[in-house]
Amino acid sequence: MLKPKMPVRLNAAEETLIAQLTGAGDSAQAERLSVTGLPTRRVESYHYTDLKMLLKSVPPLVGAANTASAPALRLAGAYRLLIANGEPQASATAPAGVIVGSSDGAALSVHDDVLVRLNTAFAKKSLSLTLEGTVDPIIQIDRRTEGTAAHSASSARIFVADDSSATILETYSGSDEAHLTNNASYIAVGRNAQVTHITVDLSSDGVTHFATNEYVLAEGAKLRTLAIHAGSALARTQIFAKFAGEGAHADIAGLNLVDDGQHLDFTLDVNHAVPNTTSQEVFKQVGRGRSKAVFQGKIVVARDAQKTDAKMMMQGLMLSDQAEILSKPELEIYADDVVCGHGSTCGELDADSMFYLMSRGISRAEAETMLVRGFLKEVLDPIEDAELNEALTAVVDDWLVGGK
Amino acid sequence: MMSALDIPTLKENIDRETVDQVLSLDVDKYKYGFSTDIESDMAPQGLSEDIVRFISAKKNEPQWMLDWRLDAYRRWLTMDEPAWAKVHYPQLDFQDMYFYAAPKSTPAPTSLDEVDPELLAMYDKLGIPLKEREILAGVERPNVAVDAVMDSVSVVTTFREELAKVGIIFCSISEAIREHAELVQKYLGSVVPVTDNYYATLNSAVFTDGSFVYIPKGVRCPMELSTYFRINEKKTGQFERTLIIAEDDSYVSYLEGCTAPMRDESQLHAAVVELVALENAEIKYSTVQNWYPGDKDGKGGIYNFVTKRGDCRGNGSKISWTQVETGSAITWKYPSCILRGDNSRGEFYSIAISNGYQQVDSGTKMIHLGKNTSSKIIAKGIAAGFSDNTYRGQVSAHAKAKGARNFTQCDSLLIGDKCGAHTVPYIESRNATAVFEHEATTSKISDDQMFYCQQRGLNEEEAVALIVNGFVRDVLQHLPMEFMVESQKLIAISLEGSVG
Repeated sequence: MLKPKMPVRLNAAEETLIAQLTGAGDSAQAERLSVTGLPTRRVESYHYTDLKMLLKSVPPLVGAANTASAPALRLAGAYRLLIANGEPQASATAPAGVIVGSSDGAALSVHDDVLVRLNTAFAKKSLSLTLEGTVDPIIQIDRRTEGTAAHSASSARIFVADDSSATILETYSGSDEAHLTNNASYIAVGRNAQVTHITVDLSSDGVTHFATNEYVLAEGAKLRTLAIHAGSALARTQIFAKFAGEGAHADIAGLNLVDDGQHLDFTLDVNHAVPNTTSQEVFKQVGRGRSKAVFQGKIVVARDAQKTDAKMMMQGLMLSDQAEILSKPELEIYADDVVCGHGSTCGELDADSMFYLMSRGISRAEAETMLVRGFLKEVLDPIEDAELNEALTAVVDDWLVGGK
Repeated sequence: MMSALDIPTLKENIDRETVDQVLSLDVDKYKYGFSTDIESDMAPQGLSEDIVRFISAKKNEPQWMLDWRLDAYRRWLTMDEPAWAKVHYPQLDFQDMYFYAAPKSTPAPTSLDEVDPELLAMYDKLGIPLKEREILAGVERPNVAVDAVMDSVSVVTTFREELAKVGIIFCSISEAIREHAELVQKYLGSVVPVTDNYYATLNSAVFTDGSFVYIPKGVRCPMELSTYFRINEKKTGQFERTLIIAEDDSYVSYLEGCTAPMRDESQLHAAVVELVALENAEIKYSTVQNWYPGDKDGKGGIYNFVTKRGDCRGNGSKISWTQVETGSAITWKYPSCILRGDNSRGEFYSIAISNGYQQVDSGTKMIHLGKNTSSKIIAKGIAAGFSDNTYRGQVSAHAKAKGARNFTQCDSLLIGDKCGAHTVPYIESRNATAVFEHEATTSKISDDQMFYCQQRGLNEEEAVALIVNGFVRDVLQHLPMEFMVESQKLIAISLEGSVG
């Protein structure tokens, strides 16, 4: 049949990326991108984040960092590791049970995803971290992009040994320029190990922030994650979690704080590949001004993964008429003896609750803040470390009072 | 093969019925798998502009219709087949299909007497709710007006006079194109535009027949209207087109049933159904689809790629879709509601059962555009055998759709560990006052439930059928009476051989 196939017309961002890939010696990826282009809404996993349309331009590849901004989040007791402009920096003496190093190349496994491919092509070095025993201080990985607007890729590979426990906080920030950052974390959680992993995006207004957090859970592992979006113009955090050992459990949470002009996306792919694993996903989104909040969550239960128990929840709150909340919670189930479910709700603040508070003399703005804070508390509460909980609550509060 | 009669003695405590039941499982279970030997008038094989002209000429269509078709065909040539659904099938070869097949003996039947007796015998064999036999015998009971579409041509329309008395037009779409051109021109393609999607565009170019319903202002249709689709000829695609218009303050309930004979090749069925509900009108559309699903190795079967959409165009209008999907090798179908009028309401109740190697990707779209619009979705998916059953649904509220409200519940049931059940909802809220709730669960029939039933003397299959019927009950009760009974049986038939 005669079907004129339209060749993909490349835009400026795609052309820059192709040139950068060619420059980095990755002609295969350059070729691939020139054929497919960046994903549009027709690509299911980018249905609500049409990269071809949203990514207008790509700044030049990053150079070494010459200047330094202040860390976006300071925790007094934390052991801080810095990745500046994609380059892991020298750090202070590591506390007991922590081995810090770096390795060539990127850290993520192969995924059919353009952001993963770009990170793999551009991340020259990965911070590598091995955690053994009960690691007391919080490990903070402070990723910053300094200097003029740049395209930067950073990567970290973290191994948590069997029976160990650790809390890792990752923050993303940098100079006040329109950077494009593509960050990756690969975290392997050993047998019966317990890990809390928190990522907070505090990038400045013009930034395009991409992050991919990949988790692999061994037998009996317990993982708690929380990802917070509180910055950038365009952000997408991809969470790929794979259950590789029986008896593992994951609590995966996210907080999407979306302000005027922002488009922030959480994309989740939880793969129950073996029997007897459980997971619980809770995502909350708040939209303000003219903004877009996106949640795509997929739970996959493999053919033999019997006795899986997975529950996913997305709750959206809209504080303005121009806010959009787009949600796609998916279940893909191939085993029969499972309990899986998802829920998704979306609406505005409850008028009765507002009335209750305002009739007691609380101003509208304050009442709104109180209710939103209450709405978000469910996600912050499980963070046990008091100092960390306080710092994250402060991030949320800053957002709540800092309406643009 | 042995039949029940060959068994000389029955073991104690096994009754003959059980043995018959077991033996009947050996043969292919598609009970509508026969083909009727009626000479057909067919178009040459393949698809081209000439075929489109041929179809249009065969149906004595006016020039504007031909132009409409040709425009659709030319657009279709530039389109790509959609690939987002969770279904897999070999590339369709449109040049290997026949796009028009008319039963030869029925040029223009005016009454049932003129219809080929073989055709009637076929309806007899089908025996589902239409009960043509009873109508023939003058039995008063069935208050169902039937428009039967065999392959591509609407064979006979019953009860037309009675309907005409209250001003209702119920005829084939080809007839409507000739006799009610102004209505067809006004509404055809106004809900599903020519360019809507690959299969809808193809349908617009080559649609052969279908039903046309027009309910005038303030009329409550006194009976359920019904079409019967049946694909008979080998390698034919059935492209029917249905258009239902309900004027202000009117009501109609429409039933659609589909079957197809057993064929080796996969047959394509790409229908388009358009509903238009004006001010305070209500349309209820019910479908029972049991096209041939292919044999036990997944060979053959119908590809059911259907675009169904209703437009709640007037304030306070209501459209309700109810579907029982048990057949077809592949189902790709999303009956949708565009809630354009203020205070309009959309409903979608669905049971989708897949067994063997069937693939179902079905769901709905509720597009909230008007103020205070509400919608409700109840979808039940049951997967057995090696099948995949996907619910895919979209709920969206436009920025101007103040006070939009949706409730969605989709439940999946898995029977066996070789099948898959998937849920893919798209929930898009562009309005702070919109309230959307969605919940989905996936589970299997618990051992406790099975034990309870079996302990009370039901065998495994009966127990499964009973539990499944309970699982889908809240959808079944939205079906008209005739379909409800049939559907319960259909569910049991569809799940035969899925346990043990």
